[in-house]
Amino acid sequence: MIRWILLVFLVLYILVPLLMPIIFSFSVFWQDILPQGFTLRWYEAILTRPANYEALLVSLTVASGAVLLNLLITVPAAYALNRAGPGWGQRLREGAAILPLLFPPLVVGTALLQAFTRPPLALTGTIWMVIIAHAILGFPFMFRIVLAAFQTIDERTLSEAAASLGASFWQRMRYVLIPNVMPGILSGALLVFAISMGEFEVTSMVAGFTAQTLPLRLFQQIRNDMRIASAITAFLIYVSFLSFVLMTYLGARMRRLRAT
Amino acid sequence: MTVAWQGIRIKAHQLLRLFSLEVLLLLPFIIFVGLFEVYPILNMAYRSLFDLNGNFTLENYINAFTKPQFRIALRNSLLFAAAASLVGGIGGTFVAALAVRLPTRWRNLLLSLYGLPMTLSGLVVAFAFIVLLGRNGVLNLLVRRAFGLPPTVYFNLYDWPGIVMVYAFFQIPLMTLSMAAVFENLDPNLIEAARNLGARPWQVWRHVVIPVLLPGFLAGMSIQFAGMMGAFGTVLALVGMAKNLLSLQIYSHASESTYNLPQAGALAIVLITITGIVLALLSWSARRLARRGP
Repeated sequence: MIRWILLVFLVLYILVPLLMPIIFSFSVFWQDILPQGFTLRWYEAILTRPANYEALLVSLTVASGAVLLNLLITVPAAYALNRAGPGWGQRLREGAAILPLLFPPLVVGTALLQAFTRPPLALTGTIWMVIIAHAILGFPFMFRIVLAAFQTIDERTLSEAAASLGASFWQRMRYVLIPNVMPGILSGALLVFAISMGEFEVTSMVAGFTAQTLPLRLFQQIRNDMRIASAITAFLIYVSFLSFVLMTYLGARMRRLRAT
Repeated sequence: MTVAWQGIRIKAHQLLRLFSLEVLLLLPFIIFVGLFEVYPILNMAYRSLFDLNGNFTLENYINAFTKPQFRIALRNSLLFAAAASLVGGIGGTFVAALAVRLPTRWRNLLLSLYGLPMTLSGLVVAFAFIVLLGRNGVLNLLVRRAFGLPPTVYFNLYDWPGIVMVYAFFQIPLMTLSMAAVFENLDPNLIEAARNLGARPWQVWRHVVIPVLLPGFLAGMSIQFAGMMGAFGTVLALVGMAKNLLSLQIYSHASESTYNLPQAGALAIVLITITGIVLALLSWSARRLARRGP
C-alpha cells in the first residue's frame, strides 16, 4: 500500500511542476490560486510575432542539423567500437562516457567561442557553431544508445551468420544490421533532437545575434512577458514529452527484440 | 607447418583488414571530437596564459585563487555541487529502490517518466518552479490562505535551498536512472544465500548489498557532481548574477559585460581540474571497493 502511495507521489513530483507552465499558457491571466479564462493567444504569439517565429525556425534547423551530424558520427563509431576489443576499444568506450563529465556545456561553450573566430573557420556567432555545439552535447547520449543497440542484437554473431550466407559488408549493413539497430538509432536521434530544442547554456554563449533559438527567446521573455514565456515553455515541454513517448515505445520494441 | 603457417597468415590478414575498416569508421568521430572539442579546449588553455594585450602571464590563474570574487565563487560552487549531488544521490537512490520493487509495467512507466527531465531546458524548469513556488506562486498562496498567514511568509525559491531544490528536479531523476540499473544487478539469490548461511541483517548489508551497490552509487555521484559544477542556466534564470558561482563567473567573463576571455579560460581550466580530481577520487574508491568485494 505504502508503495503505491509513494508511486503516486513520485509521479506527481515530475508532473505537477511541468503542468504549471501548460496551465499558465492556456489561461488569460493567473494571479490568484486558480487561473482565469481560456485562450490560445499566447501560442498565437509564437507564430505571428516575427522574432518568435524566426527563433522557432532556427531551433528546428539547429536540432535537425545536430541530429544529422550525429547520425554521421555516431552510427559508424558505435559499430566500430562495439567490435573493438577489450584493450583500446574499452578505453575509447569509457572515454566517450567520461568526456561530457569532464567537459560540461559551459566549458565547451567557452572553448568553442574563442577557437573559431578567424577564417577559414570563422564560425563563432553563426548557426553552424550552434549546430556543432549541440552535436557535441548530444553525442554521448546518442552514442550510448546506439552502442547498446549493437550489443543487444549481438552484432558479431549476426554478421558472421550473414557473411557465411555470402552477404558482403554493404549487404550485411543494408539488410541485417541497420534494420536491427534502427530502434536504437531512432531513439538516439529523438534524444539529440529534444536536447537540442531545449539547450540554453552553450547556445547563449556561442550563438551571437544571428542564431537566436527558442530557449534564448524564452530567456528574454521570462523578464518581459511571462505569458509568452509560458507558451514557449509549454511548447518545449511538448517536444520533450513527445520524444519520450516515442522513445519509450522504441525501448519496448528493443526489449522485445532482446527477449526473442 | 604449412597449414599452421597459412592459418596464421590468414588470421593476420583478416585482422589487418578489420582493424583498418574500424579505424575508417571511427574517422568522422575522431575528426569531429578532435576539431571541435579537444582542439578548442587546448586552445583555451593556451590563451589563458596570456593577458588581454597578448603578453605571457600567470595572472589569470593567480586571480582565480586570490581575488575574493573568485574565491567565494569557488567555495560556493563546491558547496552547491556537493549539496545538490547529495540531495540528488540520496533521492535518486530512494526512487530507484522503490522502482525495482514495482511490477514491471509500473517500473517501466516510472523510469520513462524520470527520463523526461534529462532533455528539459533549465529555463523550462526554472519557469515551472517560479509559477509553483515563486513569491506569489500557487503553493505559497495555498499555504498562506490555508493558515491565514501574511504575504511576508513564503518559501524563498531565490536562495540556496530553493536553487538546490529546483536542481533536484534534474538530479533526482538522473540518479534514479543510474541506480535502477544497479539495483537490477543486485541478485536476490545472493542475499538469500547469505541469509541461509546464517548472516544477520547487518552482515547481509555490510558484506553483500553495500559492496554491490556502492560502485554504482559512486559512479552516479560522479555524474551528479560533474553536472552541478558546470550548471548555470537555471540559476541565471532564477536569480541572474545575484548568486556567485564559478560557472556563472565563467559565463559572465565569456559572454557578458565583464568580457575577459583569457580569465574565463583560466577559470574553466580550474573547473575542469577540480571536477577531474573529484571524479578520479570517486572512481579510485569505487575500484578499491570493487576489489575488496563481498
